[in-house]
Amino acid sequence: MKVHERRERIEGLDATAVFVGFDEPERLRRLMLRDVDLIFPFAVDRDRRAYRAWGLRRVPWRVVWLDPRVWWQYGRLLLGGERLRSTGEDTLQMGGDFVVAPDGTVAYARPQNRDDRPPVGELIATVADLR
Amino acid sequence: MTNAPTVGSPAPDLDLTTIDGGRFRLADQVGRAVIVSFLRHAG
Repeated sequence: MKVHERRERIEGLDATAVFVGFDEPERLRRLMLRDVDLIFPFAVDRDRRAYRAWGLRRVPWRVVWLDPRVWWQYGRLLLGGERLRSTGEDTLQMGGDFVVAPDGTVAYARPQNRDDRPPVGELIATVADLR
Repeated sequence: MTNAPTVGSPAPDLDLTTIDGGRFRLADQVGRAVIVSFLRHAG
């Protein structure tokens, strides 16, 4: 949700952002949006129709659960005092980040292959280049 | 491999209900750039 921290820059470029999640809204509020002051729309795609339309795939379980970075992240959270909790509905569904240009074409596309996301600055730089 | 839209291609449709009960339609945003972030699971 680092995009929210760059609100002024994004809106200054006459752009906006939208987030899409697929979990139940109550779960999203409790686990993902608990401390987030939503500025941009947060859409819910329960049947993941949009995920499919945007080519976002599910990966084999080994891609997620045999990735040492996943376990490193869990270890870091536990050491930081977090408690283990059940994961979301589908840990194998990947996300992705896109920038859509004012004319409706795709200006940036980065579907996830694992738990990697681009820096927010990269998305904003793409938006800035469209001006 | 993925069949995600490539740079320069038309963006797929996006017409969804928002978590606060509203509606978001990408088609309504024509004329300004939109960052679209699909998230993974909430847990």
